[in-house]
Amino acid sequence: MAIEMKVPPVGESIAEVTVGTWHKKEGDVVKRDEVLCELESDKASFEFPAEADGVLHILAQEGDVLPIGAVICTIDADGSGNGAAAPAAAPAQPAPAPQAETPAQQAAPALQSSAEPAAAPSAAPAPEPAQPASAQVIEMKVPTVGESVTEVTIAAWSKKDGDQVALDEVLCELESDKATFELPAEAAGTLRIVAEAGATLPIGAVICRIEVGAGAPAAASAPAAPAPAAQPAAAPAPAQDASYAANHPSPAAAKILAEKGINPQEVNGSGVGGRITKEDAQSAQKAAAPQPAAQPAPAKPAAAPAPQPAVSGEGTRVQRRERMSSLRRTIARRLVAVKNETAMLTTFNEVDMKPIMDLRAKYKDKFKDKHQVGLGFMSFFTKAVTIALQDFPAVNAMIDGDSIVYNDYCDVSIAVSTERGLVVPVIRNAEQMDFAQIEKEIIRLAGLARDNKLTIDQMQGGTFTITNGGIFGSMLSTPIINAPQSAILGMHNIVERPVVVNGEIVVRPIMYVALSYDHRIIDGKESVSFLVRVKQLLEDPTRILLGV
Amino acid sequence: MQYDVIVIGSGPGGYVAAIRCAQLGLKTAIVEKYKTLGGTCLNVGCIPSKALLDSSEHFYNAAHTFEEHGIKLADLQVDLPQMIKRKQGVVDANVQGVSFLMKKNKIDVHQGFGSFADANTLNVKKEDGSTEQITAKNFIIATGSKPSSFPSMPIDKKRIITSTEALTLQEVPKHLIVIGAGVIGAELGSVYARIGAKVSFVEFADSMIPTMDKTMGKELQRAVKKLGADFYFSHKVTSVENTGEGVVVKADTPKGEQITLEGDYCLVSVGRRPYTDGLNLEAAGLAADNRGRIEVDNHLRTSVPHIYAIGDVIRGAMLAHKAEEEGVFAAETIAGQKPHINYRLIPGVVYTWPEVASVGYTEEELKTEGKAYKVGSFPYRALGRARASMDLDGLVKVLADKQTDEILGVHIIGARAADMIAEAVVAMEYRASAEDVARMSHAHPTYTEAMKEACLAATENRAIHM
Repeated sequence: MAIEMKVPPVGESIAEVTVGTWHKKEGDVVKRDEVLCELESDKASFEFPAEADGVLHILAQEGDVLPIGAVICTIDADGSGNGAAAPAAAPAQPAPAPQAETPAQQAAPALQSSAEPAAAPSAAPAPEPAQPASAQVIEMKVPTVGESVTEVTIAAWSKKDGDQVALDEVLCELESDKATFELPAEAAGTLRIVAEAGATLPIGAVICRIEVGAGAPAAASAPAAPAPAAQPAAAPAPAQDASYAANHPSPAAAKILAEKGINPQEVNGSGVGGRITKEDAQSAQKAAAPQPAAQPAPAKPAAAPAPQPAVSGEGTRVQRRERMSSLRRTIARRLVAVKNETAMLTTFNEVDMKPIMDLRAKYKDKFKDKHQVGLGFMSFFTKAVTIALQDFPAVNAMIDGDSIVYNDYCDVSIAVSTERGLVVPVIRNAEQMDFAQIEKEIIRLAGLARDNKLTIDQMQGGTFTITNGGIFGSMLSTPIINAPQSAILGMHNIVERPVVVNGEIVVRPIMYVALSYDHRIIDGKESVSFLVRVKQLLEDPTRILLGV
Repeated sequence: MQYDVIVIGSGPGGYVAAIRCAQLGLKTAIVEKYKTLGGTCLNVGCIPSKALLDSSEHFYNAAHTFEEHGIKLADLQVDLPQMIKRKQGVVDANVQGVSFLMKKNKIDVHQGFGSFADANTLNVKKEDGSTEQITAKNFIIATGSKPSSFPSMPIDKKRIITSTEALTLQEVPKHLIVIGAGVIGAELGSVYARIGAKVSFVEFADSMIPTMDKTMGKELQRAVKKLGADFYFSHKVTSVENTGEGVVVKADTPKGEQITLEGDYCLVSVGRRPYTDGLNLEAAGLAADNRGRIEVDNHLRTSVPHIYAIGDVIRGAMLAHKAEEEGVFAAETIAGQKPHINYRLIPGVVYTWPEVASVGYTEEELKTEGKAYKVGSFPYRALGRARASMDLDGLVKVLADKQTDEILGVHIIGARAADMIAEAVVAMEYRASAEDVARMSHAHPTYTEAMKEACLAATENRAIHM
């Protein structure tokens, strides 16, 4: 019978240890008191001696962090383990039987649930090997992602249930109302998904489990079923349910699925034990297709391709219904809230962009050479805004209950459009930055945004927002302020317009700018003056330099 | 002439590839340097050796078992020239069959030596010295392999011979020394042992057919020993010399001592090497690796995407049926399909008597990979059918996953093993468990009952007839 060796208590304040070097290998015969491995705690490292003679089965690998009491390894005292079928070996094979035990244990995670039924026919001590494996399951919970975030939605799993995952490998994407982020694996092992994609979970909820040190990747999702196959009484049973061979395509089915580009794991096999028959493969469709068809309303058009040619001239009338992402729902909720809860209005002006364009044309190469970053419009606008904000502090302020909070610094939020929606990373202390620093910071933040790598921290705490609808061609807009901020500057498209300069009509590149503001704390005079100040600074950038 | 596909080499890989291409509507040509189609397998490999194996087996049975069957023969003799002639008849019929298949499928046959002019053009040098240029969008290289040897074994094709010459000997050797006890050595060695030659196997490894499951090698050795063969395992041949009247083979024993064997023929069967000589791969932008093989990806594509290679010129076992599967695979890939090959489930067969056949993992591989497995085996001796035919040697050995009971490997030595292995392949392609096979009806009396019984043994050690 196997003896479980557990992490011993090593001191009052020590809750976990790290497995250091193993001095013995899996399957080695060890003697009592022989040192098996080293364990490291945050206070000291110590040796871990064998509690008995026998064959060693390692459950925790080097580098694994284990809580006190967790099982590190087992020692098979009589070397027979769960010898369910060992005697089955032919008379000519006396030797292989004990050797076969070693691999059986190596595959511990795959074994963990099947070991129990497999061992059932044998003597009582046999189920023990099942326990070390289950003791190695790590529960992964939804991490705390920011003060105000209370729940997250699972956007997509990048791993499948039963997959082998490595430490720090990304398992899934989580969306909160502020950002999306990736959930890395806390340990290597077999992934057991608890919450499916689309589920909304509170912070701290269990999202998945990892069976540590898993070895056998195949068909681990249904390990319980095949084991009874070896038992005569249960023999007919596995035929109905999934077995180790579930989703295994026949040779012809495999070819058909490959040509259709369908993963066999997505096909329900109708064959014995869930095997995929040729017919299954022929009728299989890509996973995306059946989804809309499964909904009651669109089912009709989807199910009636034959009569369609008669009305083919009318085009499709298929509707799609998709659940809003958590991020999208939050954006929607907040935008309405801001409209309802603030006294928002917008003032406009126009900026002659010629001076900036001239400056850019003149210095863009030198700027790029010197700073390794392009000289864009955003640095001019950000810089102009920070100067204007300091002149009109109310625009940089926010309401908190009955108080007005003035900010002596300018943390400028920059709206970035991503595939998932709008995000607003913040340039901190923009007022102290030079043009190159601003450009670099914008590029860095926009890159993080597009890769979904922005953290909540990087998006919180802005005091004023700049949004540039012009890059999509917008001529004029009334942006909604980014609460709890009090104002937002909208940039727009640059178009050539006839304007009068010194009594002459000339063609100039003009941008309309808009400032939406919360009239509760910003008066019309301040808002209009702020925008005029921004206009002045942009039309004569020398003023930025001189601060006048 | 512009083709969709040109297949170079008409062995079992090449001609099958050509037929599949034609079936898929591709304009196809095949280029063969020999006068007859069919390559090694049909001309100097599988088919002629099997013809001689059958002939020699008949003789052996007539000499040793007929009497017990109640058949008395007097003055039994081997007419080796006739035996060789019949073998040639079999070969000719098969080769003509392939020619017919080419015509039927409208495949152009270009007789001559193919070599690349560039990645889309092949020069075909004909027997009359003229050269024809043909071009294609795709190529399948299926030029096969040649017997290999070592410098210590200078093949003169007279006394020191390869499998090719062993198929056309005009006299029964008195003492045939076979270097290498792998598949080819075991087969041809047993041919001559049956018709009266003294056969000595000198093998570098420690058993016969060393790449197969150890149990098979052990059992085969026992059977071949009954033919009077001697075995020198773990021996390293240091020199082979043709003395005019015979051969002298010197080898080092495992202890480092030298032994000398004298015989009249020495069959060198130490493996085969990929054959790409003269193909001018460089002109097509290709190169062979250090073992002479052409590198291909999982789609059998070479580094030049429209040139494929199959069979013995690429990695994997040098087996006719492996080449055939790859021929179909390459053809279907060219036609835009996505075929599959499960290399793990290509059976290996040795046509000795008893035959040896296996598929899947060997027990040694399962140990190395650390898989938990169980073994079920069943001896032919316990079969009614085997008793009736006096084919008592052999056993079926089934290796199954310890937890799931999935069959992982099947190894058979015994009568009709080569045919019986197909059941194992089918079962394993569907990932059947040992119990699945054990619960299927097997006709009685047949040899395949041994398969069922071995699966029962693997399931829960509940073979019925043991």
